[in-house]
Amino acid sequence: MSPLHLSFYSAFTLSSLGLAFHRTHLVSALLCLESMMLSMYITLSIWPVENQAASSALMPMLMLTFSACEAGTGLAMLVATTRTHGSDQLHNLNLLQC
Amino acid sequence: MEPMLNTLTLITLLTLTTPLLLPLLSEKLKPTPNMIMHTTKTAFMVSLLPMMMFMYLNTECITTHWEWKIMMNFKIPLSFKMDQYSMMFFPIALFVTWSILQFATWYMASEPYIDKFFSYLLMFLIAMLMLTIANNMFLLFIGWEGVGIMSFLLIGWWQGRAEANTAALQAVLYNRIGDIGLILSMMWLASTTNTWEIQQNFSQTPTPILPLLGLILAATGKSAQFGLHPWLPAAMEGPTPVSALLHSSTMVVAGIFLLIRTHPLFTNNQAALTLCLCLGALSTLFAATCALTQNDIKKIIAFSTSSQLGLMMVTIGLNLPQLAFLHISTHAFFKAMLFLCSGSIIHNLNGEQDIRKMGGLQKLLPVTTSCLTIGNMALMGTPFLAGFYSKDLIIESLNTSHLNTWALMLTLLATTFTATYTLRMTLMVQTGYTRTIVITPMNENNPTIINPITRLALGSILAGLLITSYIIPTKTPPMTMPTITKTAALTITALGIILALELMNLTQTLTQPKQNAYQNFSSSLGYFNPLTHRLTTEKLLNSGQKIATQLIDLSWYKKTGPEGLANLQLMMTKTYTNAHTGLIKAYLESFALSILILLFYLN
Repeated sequence: MSPLHLSFYSAFTLSSLGLAFHRTHLVSALLCLESMMLSMYITLSIWPVENQAASSALMPMLMLTFSACEAGTGLAMLVATTRTHGSDQLHNLNLLQC
Repeated sequence: MEPMLNTLTLITLLTLTTPLLLPLLSEKLKPTPNMIMHTTKTAFMVSLLPMMMFMYLNTECITTHWEWKIMMNFKIPLSFKMDQYSMMFFPIALFVTWSILQFATWYMASEPYIDKFFSYLLMFLIAMLMLTIANNMFLLFIGWEGVGIMSFLLIGWWQGRAEANTAALQAVLYNRIGDIGLILSMMWLASTTNTWEIQQNFSQTPTPILPLLGLILAATGKSAQFGLHPWLPAAMEGPTPVSALLHSSTMVVAGIFLLIRTHPLFTNNQAALTLCLCLGALSTLFAATCALTQNDIKKIIAFSTSSQLGLMMVTIGLNLPQLAFLHISTHAFFKAMLFLCSGSIIHNLNGEQDIRKMGGLQKLLPVTTSCLTIGNMALMGTPFLAGFYSKDLIIESLNTSHLNTWALMLTLLATTFTATYTLRMTLMVQTGYTRTIVITPMNENNPTIINPITRLALGSILAGLLITSYIIPTKTPPMTMPTITKTAALTITALGIILALELMNLTQTLTQPKQNAYQNFSSSLGYFNPLTHRLTTEKLLNSGQKIATQLIDLSWYKKTGPEGLANLQLMMTKTYTNAHTGLIKAYLESFALSILILLFYLN
């Protein structure tokens, strides 16, 4: 595949693996989610340029909107856990046993 | 003259059923033992007339009275056949029964239910006569089952005694196995030849072996041939009149009588005839061997009956039904007399049946022991007594026929043994020092004992001569043979007598004989009873239990069927439960795994 696709592909993969394997802090999960979002944004933006189909140029904007909401929700949860548990260590959240 | 034949026979039968039908008319007309005995005597007198008519005019007749309309195209009439066999059998059976009933009025005098006893004996007699006079298999089957049931009721007469109940049950079970054969033959006849009339089933073509095997099985069960024989010695648990009537003269010959009646079916099938021959030879030798070491007087006579029945079966196998019937007729006289004499001895010794505890009775009971001697002589085939005419003819025919040598050897050996055990019984009971424990006041003053026994003794002496003088044989008897063959029966009987005398010398001394294998074989009746009664039933029940619990319950339900399937699921479930921990690590790991798979797939 072309180097451009490789870079998006590998960025997304590395971020999702990072989400799966970094289980110490909540903020690392959030950061990985953000990077997944970023790589997907850039991929969606390149798409109409590459395929010369201008009608799908709206998609990255929609994506960005929802990712902003999601990032906000994530940060709110981070603040909430820090307030109640004192840190964002995931092993404190023992409803779902880590 | 001819119409009188069937009328008189029917009158005979009606006379016999009168004591049983009278209570239906009025409660006060219950039959007493004396009345039943006199009824039988009258019936005997009446039945002499058809017999004499048959002898003089050779008239036979078949009467049909009405019909059971059960099925459309299958006729089951109530029809009687008065031919040579039934005409001859009626007077003989009635004569013997009259004597036995007269004896039973003395023997069972202290029995509280003597009326019921006599009516049972009468019911048995009627069933037996119906079997004899039947023209179709249906009526024969009615008589057959009737005698089986009455045998059961009469053997277990003293029903408080456990051995009597066991013996009665044994009799019924062994008879039932024989009945399977009879029903098989009846059904084959009904389906193949569409009739149950006996004379319609005869044809020249060889009959298939299946119905013949059924008939032979029926005869094996009813006439106690080897294989279904243990019930006959066990049947001695019944009172002596029952043993005398059923298990010596009348009921046990029913099987042989069936084979005589259906004999033309057998004539062309050599395999069936050879089977009869070998079965009869084996039965006669086996019974004679067992009788050698028996100590109960009734059991000796029972085994003697069994042995003579085997001899009758041998005669059937030789294709000589008339000779078998002759042997049935003569055998009835002396066997019934032997049983009555033993009954008299037993009662006079206050219930002692063991011959080791009898002795010297010749001086104490002269008439009884003389008649016992006459009966034993007739049984052994002493020339010109009753047994000689039939037994000697059978042995001569055996020796001059083209047959299985093994069967011949066995029968000759059995004849020797017959002489041996008969003489042993005679010597131990009548001669020597008295070995009875209690000297009871023995007497024979009662005419109710003496008259029947002497009457039967007269029959034992004259019956053979009378019957052979008046009945024309249908097959030519062997006329010429070498001297040694002619005197074969006499020679081997003499050998048996010498053997018995030698054995008596041994038993009169006080030396205790060591146990050896042959004695054990003989006294435990060939180990047949424990083998079949315990081993086979135990194995059958065991295998039944194994099939039920281990095959069906355990294998099908628990291992392979419903529970087995559940167990298989359980195995997998246990493995997977370990994976479902609830830790988020697992879920994130699966997420990572999915990503990696996606990686490889999108390339």
